[in-house]
Amino acid sequence: MKTAVQPHTGYWPYNDQTQMDRQIPRYPRSFTRVPAHPLTERPLTLTELTGPAGIENRLGVEALDLSHAAPEEPRALGQLILVSGRVMDEDGSPIAGAVIEIWQANSCGKYIHELDRFDAPLDPNFTGQGRLITDFEGRYQFLSVKPGAYPVIESGWWWRPPHIHFSIFGPSWMNRYVTQIFFPGEPLNQIDVLLNGVKDEEARQTLIFEAPPPEMGDVQRIPFHRDFVLRGKRATPELP
Amino acid sequence: MNPSVYCTIGPFFPAEFSDGCSDLTRNNGKVARGEHILLSGRVLEEGGKPTVNTIVEIWQPDANGIFRHALDPRCGQADPGFFGWGRARTDADGWYRFRTVLPGSYEWEGNMRCPHLNMMVLAIGLTRRLVTTAFFPEDPTNASDLVLDSVSDLAMRARLIAKRDPSADAAGAAGYRFDLILRGAEETPFFVD
Ligand SMILES: [Fe+2]
Repeated sequence: MKTAVQPHTGYWPYNDQTQMDRQIPRYPRSFTRVPAHPLTERPLTLTELTGPAGIENRLGVEALDLSHAAPEEPRALGQLILVSGRVMDEDGSPIAGAVIEIWQANSCGKYIHELDRFDAPLDPNFTGQGRLITDFEGRYQFLSVKPGAYPVIESGWWWRPPHIHFSIFGPSWMNRYVTQIFFPGEPLNQIDVLLNGVKDEEARQTLIFEAPPPEMGDVQRIPFHRDFVLRGKRATPELP
Repeated sequence: MNPSVYCTIGPFFPAEFSDGCSDLTRNNGKVARGEHILLSGRVLEEGGKPTVNTIVEIWQPDANGIFRHALDPRCGQADPGFFGWGRARTDADGWYRFRTVLPGSYEWEGNMRCPHLNMMVLAIGLTRRLVTTAFFPEDPTNASDLVLDSVSDLAMRARLIAKRDPSADAAGAAGYRFDLILRGAEETPFFVD
């Protein structure tokens, strides 16, 4: 029982080759915060295989519309978008009841956050954050406005391309998942320190929303789509 | 399919997402059974510098070692006044603070898991979460815990054991200190994820 690789649990360690690099040049804090000591393998037990079921009752979820601060108020300024996708496990089975936390900048690239020092305006009609839960087929969707780019003022200097942050509670502690999803065709994607910290081309593309399909179902909003694969239920390890 | 690609939580995780999440001892209008504790510590980076705005999440069983989760055969007896998950955000000096219960031990595949709670760290500079486990000093079964045993270096293993901190005691709750030293001297052991 000394190895982290335990087929019966359905969980395997993340494959570093298809994940973002842990340390990235021009991302200075990755060099002061990533442990120097190698990570320790440990067996998986009930504490790892369970997770906060019913967290939606604790945290609260809603039908999410970030483009409205309140239903009776005007819409936020910006390009209206409809973001949707599915949450599934490594076998492609839907994960129903996954709680998703979402946060993003407004259309000017400004966050509602005490630490945001970017000299761009807040939009009183945009809250930029919320929680939802996936349906029985693992689907999620929310309305928003397309976020703007913003500068990283503290570490080095670069412009973050438009992106939306996701934090997902899967069925267990093992598949608690946090990421950022980018927009297709953005010139700043070419120089983003984080996005380009994913060396595997195919894996990097999974951090970008799928481009709108030619037939657009909703005449009011540009659709963007992104599925998420949470770790779990794979009988054999991911091939390198 | 490959699991999706992780990315850092960044600097702008909404403060409201942590509000009210650091007290695990109240749930559905009930109070958790067992010994209440205050678990606090600092999240430090290289050079012993505090990390500000770091998110720490914990997951643990209740005072009887039960998870309210379908995989736990004792799930039906889980304490309704306890919620096993919590989240805290570090302050300007790098401090996180939780109010929770001293977790109970439980049996797993013929071995006892001694009292422990799982922790994860999300921060600027971390493209992936860091995961570790905190143990408690008094427990005699620490000597044979499956996860604690996987850290073979004795000095590093000792860093996984929270310290009793009477100066942090508050009404009805014993103080424990557990620092998360991400990098540098006295680095906390983190596990393969
Ligand atoms: Fe961001």
